[in-house]
Amino acid sequence: MRVLFCSMVLLLAGCASPQHSEEALVPAREAFQQVKSDPQVLQYAAKDVLRAGESLARAERLAGYWGSAGDVQHFAYLSQAYSAIAREHTQQALNRQRLQRLQGERERLQLSLREARLLSVQQHSQWLEDQVLSLQTEGGERGLVLSFADMAFDTGRAELKAVASRTLLKIVQLLQLNPARVVRVEGYSDSLGNKAMNMQLSQQRAQAVADALVDLGIRRERVEVVGYGEAYPLSENASARGRAQNRRVEVVFSDERGRLPPARP
Amino acid sequence: MLGLLALLSGCAHDPAPLEQLRLSEQALQQAYDTGVPATARALQSAEQKLARARKNMAEEDFKRARVLAEQAELDARLAQAQQLSAQSEAELDVLLLQLQRLRKQLSEVN
Repeated sequence: MRVLFCSMVLLLAGCASPQHSEEALVPAREAFQQVKSDPQVLQYAAKDVLRAGESLARAERLAGYWGSAGDVQHFAYLSQAYSAIAREHTQQALNRQRLQRLQGERERLQLSLREARLLSVQQHSQWLEDQVLSLQTEGGERGLVLSFADMAFDTGRAELKAVASRTLLKIVQLLQLNPARVVRVEGYSDSLGNKAMNMQLSQQRAQAVADALVDLGIRRERVEVVGYGEAYPLSENASARGRAQNRRVEVVFSDERGRLPPARP
Repeated sequence: MLGLLALLSGCAHDPAPLEQLRLSEQALQQAYDTGVPATARALQSAEQKLARARKNMAEEDFKRARVLAEQAELDARLAQAQQLSAQSEAELDVLLLQLQRLRKQLSEVN
């Protein structure tokens, strides 16, 4: 009998008081109040809000009973979790909607950019175009290579100038006609100045060309980017003319099965 | 007397929550499949609670096992929902950057 009595005392002591239950209920109530008064949450995560409400109601009912503190805490916990999930699901739905809207806008912008580039090509003189575009069919390992000369960029900068439009369009056209082909965009610099800076600039210029291709509707997976810095010069670096030739971005095409020639070591 | 004690502690009549454990495991697997990072707090909480629930199952403390498994399930679902929100957020960032670039190019070409 004494053992039983002791156990009863222990059991009762183990039960938390109603104040304890209240502590678990307050944050759950607040979380539920927030989600149920948010019209967006109600619209996109009604089911989660409903469950948060059910669990909370259960916790509130149990809070009136002695010895149920553990259950109150449990259902308050579940309610709070459902409220948090409701908020996440709402955020997701809103993000998806916004993504869709922006994707539509991207398509419109890509279209107008293509048109604008075509127009700018027509406006530029043949001489300028020839300077920018040099189409080479180097036989052998490198396959088809299109390059952007230095004048496609401002000195020391990575942004592509409008004069590069024709080459860009040519590449896009080729890629659209050959959907299995991919490209590797390779940046090169001259040997003036800091090696690391040259490497960085060559990478940034290659990236700028790659970005421009993506912006014209080419999937990013089809465009590899690499910077070689001052390696593999086309000409000697002693003269200004030679250096200008060395500053370039080359676009190497894969074969019709998407296999690129091996990258330069 | 032992029976009375068991009755008082309230765990004698709880059936083994096998179905709930299966649900919790499934939710955790879905969180992993979604790519929730191992450091996510909700995921860690789900893992810990599921481990404790399994331990309670072995000790035939089914009431505690059910409670922990239920919480683990929701923790895992929350972790997954947080991950999906973060992913859509990242997609938005990429897209916004691309739009910015497109507008800049358009203004330069025109």
